[in-house]
Amino acid sequence: MKRDQFFRALPSYAYLIILGLIVVLPLILIFSQSLMSNQEINRWPPKIYTPEPVFSNYVNMFKRPDLKLGRWLFNSIFAATAYTLAVFLICAPAAYAFARLRFPGNNVLFFILLATVMVPGQVTLIPNFLLVRNLHMLDTFNVLIWPGAANVFAVFLLRQFFMQVPRELEEAAVLDGASYWGRFWRIIMPLSTNALVALGIFVFLGHYNDLFWPLITTNSIEMRTLPVGLTLLNFSYGGMERPLVLAGAIFASIPVLIVYIIFQRQIIKGVAMTGMGGR
Amino acid sequence: MQNSESSNAGKAVPKRYRLSLKTRETLAAYLFLLPFILLFSVFVIRATFYAIQMSFFDWTILKPIKPFIGLANYKELINDDVWWLALRNTLYFSIITVIGTSAVALAAALAINQPKVKGKEFFRVLLYMPSLLSVGVIGLTWVWLLNTQFGIVNYLLSFLGIRPINWLGNANLVIPALSLTTIWWGFGFPMLIFLAGLQGIPEQLYEAARIDGARTGQIFWRITLPLLRPTLLFITVTGFIAHFQVFGQPFIMTRGGPGRASYTVIFYLYEAAWRAFRMGYGSAIAVALAFIIIFFTLLQFRFIGRRVEY
Repeated sequence: MKRDQFFRALPSYAYLIILGLIVVLPLILIFSQSLMSNQEINRWPPKIYTPEPVFSNYVNMFKRPDLKLGRWLFNSIFAATAYTLAVFLICAPAAYAFARLRFPGNNVLFFILLATVMVPGQVTLIPNFLLVRNLHMLDTFNVLIWPGAANVFAVFLLRQFFMQVPRELEEAAVLDGASYWGRFWRIIMPLSTNALVALGIFVFLGHYNDLFWPLITTNSIEMRTLPVGLTLLNFSYGGMERPLVLAGAIFASIPVLIVYIIFQRQIIKGVAMTGMGGR
Repeated sequence: MQNSESSNAGKAVPKRYRLSLKTRETLAAYLFLLPFILLFSVFVIRATFYAIQMSFFDWTILKPIKPFIGLANYKELINDDVWWLALRNTLYFSIITVIGTSAVALAAALAINQPKVKGKEFFRVLLYMPSLLSVGVIGLTWVWLLNTQFGIVNYLLSFLGIRPINWLGNANLVIPALSLTTIWWGFGFPMLIFLAGLQGIPEQLYEAARIDGARTGQIFWRITLPLLRPTLLFITVTGFIAHFQVFGQPFIMTRGGPGRASYTVIFYLYEAAWRAFRMGYGSAIAVALAFIIIFFTLLQFRFIGRRVEY
């Protein structure tokens, strides 16, 4: 019987292990090739393992004037953190109003929000680009934070989460004389922590990995974010210096993988909970 | 965190200044909404209408005069071979990517959901990992993996006796190659959504089917798949729309090439607006894209939505 069950699960295991290898092998390969020299990487057959790893690529990343990986990493993390905070600050109160407060125009406003979800974000790119350009915000952190901070998806999700908090808890606070802000900030927000963490992670990662907006709104090498910097770097080397570029890709992925290792449970659960985290 | 407007109402405030509960609630609601509405109206509402407006103008960043030209941008678009090529490429890319992603993801979800399979958590965490990487990293990695001379993909294929393939340099292969990259990158998300959907199917249904002597295949086609239809709808609709907006992969991996074989709609938008500085024409492209996406959303909901009931 046991044997029989094992054989039933065998195709599943086989598929998962092959898929797992397909996922992992490229990552291992680019990591080990990022430790190779230029001559070693351009060789047939390609090598997965190098007996004499060179770390010069990782050192050069920080030394070369056209490569500001440290600065780009800071830009990416700082902008993504500030953006995530801005989204919470702006969208959470709005979501609370939609979830709990009664006010005229409630339905109309919510319908407008729903309607805009259908329109792809690219429609707003050109007008917003021209606006921030006229405001002289190009090449600053502001441009990476504010234009996307009114995040409609965040409002929908937060509204959904807030509606799940039992009303009785809020009513108790009302009897204690809590203001609307107090109810929102001391009751609703703390009780939604799990949801907020999940949403926060995806908002952060979405921003950290974004390419188009930082590509068109930053110009100077100091203000590039990691994805943009790496992409342009690859262009400027025209396929040369491959190990260096691969080292940069590994470097850019490390923060994300650290976040993933720490928050893996929340992230995996959060995907189904929020419907975010896709491409 | 003491907020202004209503926290002390009823204590020190003289009676005549007190607002009715309804007014206070309305006031509070609008204060809560104010920052959002401000940013939303500027960066979403205004921007959307401005994009539509700009599409009727010859709006070039370098020219000081931006004349109204009516529908000329749209007329140009209809006669623009590059636009139609980009649209065809994008459609082709989106369709094969949605199908590939859904198939790989559904199979993975079914395998993980198999009651006898151990290490479910491990596989979930492992297989979702690529989804977290940025398109920059994915692009740089896969350009190298798909390299004709030294790439690992061609190396592995050489064991099957297949001669080196110029994946990104062949006009017929470049879209499937970008699609393959995207499937590798993105199948984790639908996998987790499918898993959640599978876990929502009551175990009794499977038991009842087994008691009735149903085979594995029958259970899949008659029970699992019909009950997964809402999930499938969600995945295909959101996936199709997301892939239709593909930009990073062609931008990084091929720069639209070879020739224009991997031009996509957003890539063309970028070329028109930020390379040629034709913002008016770019706006027309963006508006056309919006119509296409709205059309497909509605179409798919009609098409699959009808069969969702059970």
